[in-house]
Amino acid sequence: MSGGGAPGPGPTPDPELRAAEYALGTLDAQERAALERDAIRDPETAGRIRAWERRLAPLMGAVPPVAPPPRVRAALLRALPDGAAGAGDQLRQLRLRLRRWQVAAAGAGLLAAGLALFVAIGPSRSPAGGRYLAVVQGGGAVPALIVRVDTRTGLAQVRPVGADAPAGRSLELWYVGAEGPKPLGLVGGAPSQVRLPHSAAPDGVIAVSVEPPGGSPSGQPTGPVIYTGKLIAE
Amino acid sequence: MADDATLRRLLAGIARGEADQLAELYDRTSPKLYGLILRIQRDRASAEDVLQDVYMRIWQAAGTYRPEAGPPLPWLCTIARNRAIDSVRRVVEHQGPDLDTGEDWVARLIDPHDGAAAFMDRSALLACLGRLDPLHRDCVVLAYCEGQSREDLARHFDRPVNTIKTWLHRSLAGLKTCLEAVS
Repeated sequence: MSGGGAPGPGPTPDPELRAAEYALGTLDAQERAALERDAIRDPETAGRIRAWERRLAPLMGAVPPVAPPPRVRAALLRALPDGAAGAGDQLRQLRLRLRRWQVAAAGAGLLAAGLALFVAIGPSRSPAGGRYLAVVQGGGAVPALIVRVDTRTGLAQVRPVGADAPAGRSLELWYVGAEGPKPLGLVGGAPSQVRLPHSAAPDGVIAVSVEPPGGSPSGQPTGPVIYTGKLIAE
Repeated sequence: MADDATLRRLLAGIARGEADQLAELYDRTSPKLYGLILRIQRDRASAEDVLQDVYMRIWQAAGTYRPEAGPPLPWLCTIARNRAIDSVRRVVEHQGPDLDTGEDWVARLIDPHDGAAAFMDRSALLACLGRLDPLHRDCVVLAYCEGQSREDLARHFDRPVNTIKTWLHRSLAGLKTCLEAVS
């Protein structure tokens, strides 16, 4: 990655060594992202990564613990959705309803957890037009949203199809790119138009999470991610 | 720290949306995870952000933990390592100082700090690392424990990046063959 060298994919390296270098940590940001995308689609790749993570894991025993400052714990707990602390019945109900989505996501070959919830999918060929479509699904056959993105104008049209928010919760739309999730707004019952973050690129993913009424208080997804969809060039 | 059964119980509670279980998991595991993150992401403010992000991911992904994936602590640590690596790889133009802390990671591995049992096959990995060329082994260990990139390693060992790549590939292939023979 140094000094503007060609970022192109180059010759495909040995898949075993790619997985090994991923687990070791020596791939650059683009190579890491590319391999994570592959792992979502290809269980064999995900399996190779997991095997290497396990092979090298004993080295983690060598690193001494360090107590983090208390403010991290406080910020973490503040960022959780309202009402989670009580683990009330409502949330429990919600979780049950959402479990099938989570199971579907798990089946997609999660790398060591969290990853797949946030993974950028793509890259689509990048056409001059800058117009993309995302069919946002939660693992079932029925789309939840259709999102039409125009990267030239920075606008996206959102058309809900079968996205219903659990009682007392809001669905929030996110654009997830290299810099992490950026909020796009709440998903209502009617079609709407939202503005994309400046950094939006065609290799991003559109995701929907369940949030407290009115949206995430922290600017980051706090509830389960129930739908995701990649951008496809129109 | 905590035993596997406790951590599994906490993860199950988190998957049901119980914030108090996340708080308890945090209390039991955050020093380990923060230690790992801080070795890789040296900037404390960024390391704290990574730590918080890691637990938010755990909050969201606890339901996807499967016992087949191995014991819970390495699973949690792997999430932390991956996010820490991501955070340092994203800042590509920053030419850092020589990151070597002079830490003898292999010696630490022989006498690990905590919960050695949580990280299986320690002796096998140690034996196999011992069979590598010492320079190549240092390269692997610095990459893993300190998150050094190929470019960092090239500076550290004063070799071209391609040489580092060759060392790493040779070492990783050697480790795999050796670990398969040992186990």
